[in-house]
Amino acid sequence: MDLSVLDRLKWLQQQQMVSPEFLQILGSDGREELKRVESYLGNNNDELQSFRHFPEFGPDYDTTDGCISRTSSFHMEPVKNNGHSRAITLQNKRKPEGKTEKREKKKIKAEDETEPSMKGKSNMSNTETSSEIQKPDYIHVRARRGEATDRHSLAERARREKISKKMKCLQDIVPGCNKVTGKAGMLDEIINYVQSLQQQVEFLSMKLSVINPELECHIDDLSAKQFQAYFTGPPEGDSKQSIMADFRSFPLHQQGSLDYSVINSDHTTSLGAKDHTSSSWETHSQCLYNSLRTDSVSNFFSLK
Amino acid sequence: MQPTSSMNEEFLKKWQMGLQIFRPSIDNTSVHERKKAIKLSADVAMASLRKGTTCWSRALIEKTATEDNFLVRQMLSGIKAETLINKKLPKKTVCHRKIVRRSKKILRRKSKSASEEAAAKAKRLVKRRTQGLRNVVPGGELMSNDVLLLQETLDYIVSLQTQVNVMRSIVDAAEAEIER
Repeated sequence: MDLSVLDRLKWLQQQQMVSPEFLQILGSDGREELKRVESYLGNNNDELQSFRHFPEFGPDYDTTDGCISRTSSFHMEPVKNNGHSRAITLQNKRKPEGKTEKREKKKIKAEDETEPSMKGKSNMSNTETSSEIQKPDYIHVRARRGEATDRHSLAERARREKISKKMKCLQDIVPGCNKVTGKAGMLDEIINYVQSLQQQVEFLSMKLSVINPELECHIDDLSAKQFQAYFTGPPEGDSKQSIMADFRSFPLHQQGSLDYSVINSDHTTSLGAKDHTSSSWETHSQCLYNSLRTDSVSNFFSLK
Repeated sequence: MQPTSSMNEEFLKKWQMGLQIFRPSIDNTSVHERKKAIKLSADVAMASLRKGTTCWSRALIEKTATEDNFLVRQMLSGIKAETLINKKLPKKTVCHRKIVRRSKKILRRKSKSASEEAAAKAKRLVKRRTQGLRNVVPGGELMSNDVLLLQETLDYIVSLQTQVNVMRSIVDAAEAEIER
């Protein structure tokens, strides 16, 4: 009993320390707070394991988004448990990279705390929860027994894993996305990149239409020659033409979006410093860069 | 997924076909009309890379078909244009208003702690950006699933990169030709 009281006091202090800083969840301090919360959640390893093997129960949920009814109520038989049960109200839905599977289970259990609390017959656990609820400092609700392994919770977990896989694929494709942490920031980068690509298409269409209409007759020959030189590497006979083409590509990069042009220029500059044949390296590096992108994509999904 | 060079080649062939269809009417028009024709043929060529297997390509084909139906049918002659244009896009999911209202009412009863409020704010931010992503990707409004939206975005970005690369190479070649 004394130990549990001491644990409550420690938890109270930690709760009061953490709670005002969580309002600034968008700040850079979120990482440190995450570590504190994880260190606190790690202490409950023994208690959480005791609830792991309860059987599944409850109605079947429809897993489509937005149609899930949250008004269903559970009827549980009251089961006596040891006096070490504790409520955890800290929630944080960011996922740092170094998490293990056990921590994911704890987090999923913590995320179910928003469900309304059980109303059952009074026993030891109910008296504890009722006494804790009456305190004016905070209101804490934890996941009920067996909800972590509920079919709905398992489906939600699978959906979250799918989304994180897709986000990693997008992180590989979109340049500059590796620096951003958090799902909202990554979505911002993706939206900006798609919009910049669409603007480049508009710009290139306008530029191509400004050229004299007589050139449209020769576009077959131009595209055939330039296509070979651009994508399969420059042959020896067309070295002058490829050099002129590479020279022309620089102002076009500068007129594009900032993120796209900066990364491309950095990439070509770093490669150019290593080798003296910079013109052939630019063409070759672009082919490599594009092939690396699509190769990483084709590993994760295939539409054909 | 095809490798990059074959994707570029396929896009270039289809784009050339579209430009050939436009060629008789290009000479006497203004710069804006020519730009519109080039953009339209490039979009249809990009959408035909996927042959209607993705939501964004079907939405893009349907959008361009409203502007120039003749071009779309000509360019998609090998891919059963009729079935593609008339193919249904996925419908939006219908939520029962009673259930949504009742669940919101129940959620509003509880008073939230500071950490729960912070988590709700973060979720709201992600939801807003997801909606922004739906607006950017063609056909994004009709995707009810977040996983499907991310997959379509992934494929759309790859195809858009192909389009930008090919168009840039054509512009570079045309500029080099002018310098002579």
